[in-house]
Amino acid sequence: MSDLTMLLAVFEDIEPASGGIEKLRDLGVADDQMNVISGIPIKATILGRRSALTRVPAIAMTGAVLGMLLGLFLIYGTPFLFPLNVGGQPIYPVPQGIIITFEMTMLGLMGFAFIGMFVDSGFPSYTPKEYIPEISDGKIAILFRCPDNEQKKFIDALKKLGAESVELAEARQL
Amino acid sequence: MSSIAKPLALPHAEEQEDPREQLMHDPRSRGEMNDMVMESMHSTTWKYWTVTGILAVIVVVCLFYAWYYLIMQGLGVAGVNRPVYWGIFLVEVVFWIGISHAGTFISAILRVLKVEGRRPFTRAAELMTTFGLVQAGISVFLHMGRVWLSYWLIPFPNERGLWPDFHSPLMWDFMAISTYLLSSTMYLFLPLIPDMAMARDRSTGWRKAAYRILAIGFRGTEGEWKNLITAMNIFAFAIIPVMFSVHTIVSWDFAMASRPGWSSSVFGPYFVIGALHSGMAAVAIVLFLIRSTMKNMKYFLRPEHFDLLGKLMLMVSMAWAYFYFNDYIVSWYGGDKWEKIVQEFTEKGPLWYLWYAMLFFNIVVPFAVLWNKKWRQTPWLLAIVGLLINAGMWLERYIIIPETLTINRMPFTWRLYVPGVEIVLTIGNFAFFFLLYMLASRFLPLIPVWEVQEGHESHTLRKIGKASIPTLSDME
Amino acid sequence: MATDLQLPVFTNNSENELAGRWGMVIDQDICTGCQACVAACAMENNIPFVGEADAGYGRTMHWIRIERFWQGTFPEVKMTPYQPVLCQQCHKAPCEPVCPVFASVHSVSEDINLQVYNRCVGTRYCANNCPYQVRVFNWRDYTDARQRPELVTLQNQLNPDVTVRRRGVMEKCTFCIQRIRHVEDTAQSEGRDVRDGEVVPACAQACPADAIVFGRVDDPTSKVSKAAITSRGSHMLEELGTLPRVTYLAGGSAQ
Repeated sequence: MSDLTMLLAVFEDIEPASGGIEKLRDLGVADDQMNVISGIPIKATILGRRSALTRVPAIAMTGAVLGMLLGLFLIYGTPFLFPLNVGGQPIYPVPQGIIITFEMTMLGLMGFAFIGMFVDSGFPSYTPKEYIPEISDGKIAILFRCPDNEQKKFIDALKKLGAESVELAEARQL
Repeated sequence: MSSIAKPLALPHAEEQEDPREQLMHDPRSRGEMNDMVMESMHSTTWKYWTVTGILAVIVVVCLFYAWYYLIMQGLGVAGVNRPVYWGIFLVEVVFWIGISHAGTFISAILRVLKVEGRRPFTRAAELMTTFGLVQAGISVFLHMGRVWLSYWLIPFPNERGLWPDFHSPLMWDFMAISTYLLSSTMYLFLPLIPDMAMARDRSTGWRKAAYRILAIGFRGTEGEWKNLITAMNIFAFAIIPVMFSVHTIVSWDFAMASRPGWSSSVFGPYFVIGALHSGMAAVAIVLFLIRSTMKNMKYFLRPEHFDLLGKLMLMVSMAWAYFYFNDYIVSWYGGDKWEKIVQEFTEKGPLWYLWYAMLFFNIVVPFAVLWNKKWRQTPWLLAIVGLLINAGMWLERYIIIPETLTINRMPFTWRLYVPGVEIVLTIGNFAFFFLLYMLASRFLPLIPVWEVQEGHESHTLRKIGKASIPTLSDME
Repeated sequence: MATDLQLPVFTNNSENELAGRWGMVIDQDICTGCQACVAACAMENNIPFVGEADAGYGRTMHWIRIERFWQGTFPEVKMTPYQPVLCQQCHKAPCEPVCPVFASVHSVSEDINLQVYNRCVGTRYCANNCPYQVRVFNWRDYTDARQRPELVTLQNQLNPDVTVRRRGVMEKCTFCIQRIRHVEDTAQSEGRDVRDGEVVPACAQACPADAIVFGRVDDPTSKVSKAAITSRGSHMLEELGTLPRVTYLAGGSAQ
């Protein structure tokens, strides 16, 4: 099998880009060998792709459970370590427990959703990546791998569909 | 010949499609919008630097030096006494936390409900949340007698062997405000990432280096967007109950105390609405300032946005009036001796004019102005209404804290409160808030460009009959 | 006829550890309002002089104060009995649970409200929540002789058994806990129980009319228990359910 090259096809609009994806698939590029880079979030169904899996909700739920445990420890664990009577209130109060547990659960949920976004996307990363600045001007780029010797065929096909440019993707310092 | 129609409106009163009124009638490409936002961040005039410099001097003198003086001398230099143990510092805490609520409300609730008009000003409102909470945090520390020991409130294993007391409403407050500050800062950062990437792609020098770090290597691949949008959705839903809990718990600092005028079960929702009241009004002021002083902002912030904000302000004002009346009539009708004394003191005591001013600013002013669409769409007028509402809400907190504290169940100790160094520190607080905004306005894109473009993409102008009307397709 | 309402009785899980429940009876009918208790308390507990300006602005730091009121409108005014007010040492104190750092805690053995000065961070919530307004705050460094040179000689009168508080700390009446401890230690070393009337707080000691009686309220034979059960007795703001430990006697002829 010949070597694979990474190409970056830039489209002006969503319409031709979704056509490009279909064409690439016809030409035998597997779904996991392409990626769409865009300046706004575009629903996967619009592009005719399956949506990316995200682990953020699972990580966030883990955080919520951990936060809840932390809250329960703070309200019911710390008085066990150092019981003090204040105003005749119970050492292990239920109503206050609801407040503290709620806040800590929410903090865990959101904190881990934030961290999960970093972890699942591999942020922060400052290594060179395949990218062109025009993407943040609203252009849509398709990043895909194709066999080295068939490059020309792919470029012509995408150009015909309205790609502004199809070039070798080079990793650059963002 | 007699007319068969009702009298027709004059031609100029006809609802014209005024491109100046709605963003959708004047869409621009993402590249153009990027350039406009970048230009607004880069252009600084001598006026900008003068105002920033003055604000910085005020912050140094009125906040940092005055705080140093307060710490060295003790709280005696402030106006607090017996029985008014809590003074303007606590007023400021409640006020700034209130201000901070607008950011979340606009950003989270309107995002969840998909209110399209929110798009251009979510960022400015979210910044308000974080900057408002910074001021609230400072005010809490100003208030404490021994601020250098404030870390004792943090629950961590320590050689003192002691944990904080979670029985105390102040501890709930501490946990809730920390949660809110952390989560709202994260929520500010999430939608900022694509804009940071945008700024990174078109800047040089130190800005490039800074934006490169803040953009955390974001490219906009499918997976990155999916993760980002998922995280933002989780935040949007989760931060709403946190926001409600924060101001409810702030109100519990008062409602939990068995004091006349404080011990009221309606305080929770009443404070939340009060927070939104001052917060919305503050957004109006900030949007007006941004629109009139920064370049290219007249394109993004249209009369339609002020119209939306004006409607929200009106609704919140009505809700505030309802809750205030609810709290008022229960004390009035209940006839508890001490509640009655507090109420009479507020209305007929030496500070009676504050009570009337509060009702005038909070209810009469918004009612008188905000029913009119043309007036709502006038930015400067909305900003003035916002200013008055904020004055009214500040007075409301002043009445609830130092003025109500004047009265207690031991008439021998009744004494009026006269502010001292608090006034200087309050000026410092306000200057710090605006200074943070001034600096942020030249460093962070105040318009979330990608969200505005998303709005453009999901809208189309559809011709129905003779008119072309923006219609919305659900792309999210 | 009194009906037993079968109300739930407050129980403290450390109830059986009680070493002594101290209480006080103040007879308003024989109080002359001479302020001797206020002065004695200040001397005993190192309460600072706050100066004229601060005193005029409601920042006096006395742990006991004598309240006096006029009834009616001028010229038909009548004086109400003098009312010395100090910390009521509530059994269910509102000041305690509101402190975020456990600076105001309950002593389960003495059933007294403690104020731990060096744990206090000065949020002043306890003072707001005290219905009797008996907590005082160190608004400035009133006792620091470096800032107030006139205090240098006065420092020699400080009571070595009581700490000197600095700015930013809340404080209040302790029922002269140092005297209670002293008597308890003496009794223990002599191998006996504390006798009734042996513990005398500074205010009671200084009272020329003997209007203040101090002792154990859990001992029905003590002088203070007998004084407290007269029909003239009442508790201040009893309706709040704070279960105060100070009984006021008023409204009858002095015995």
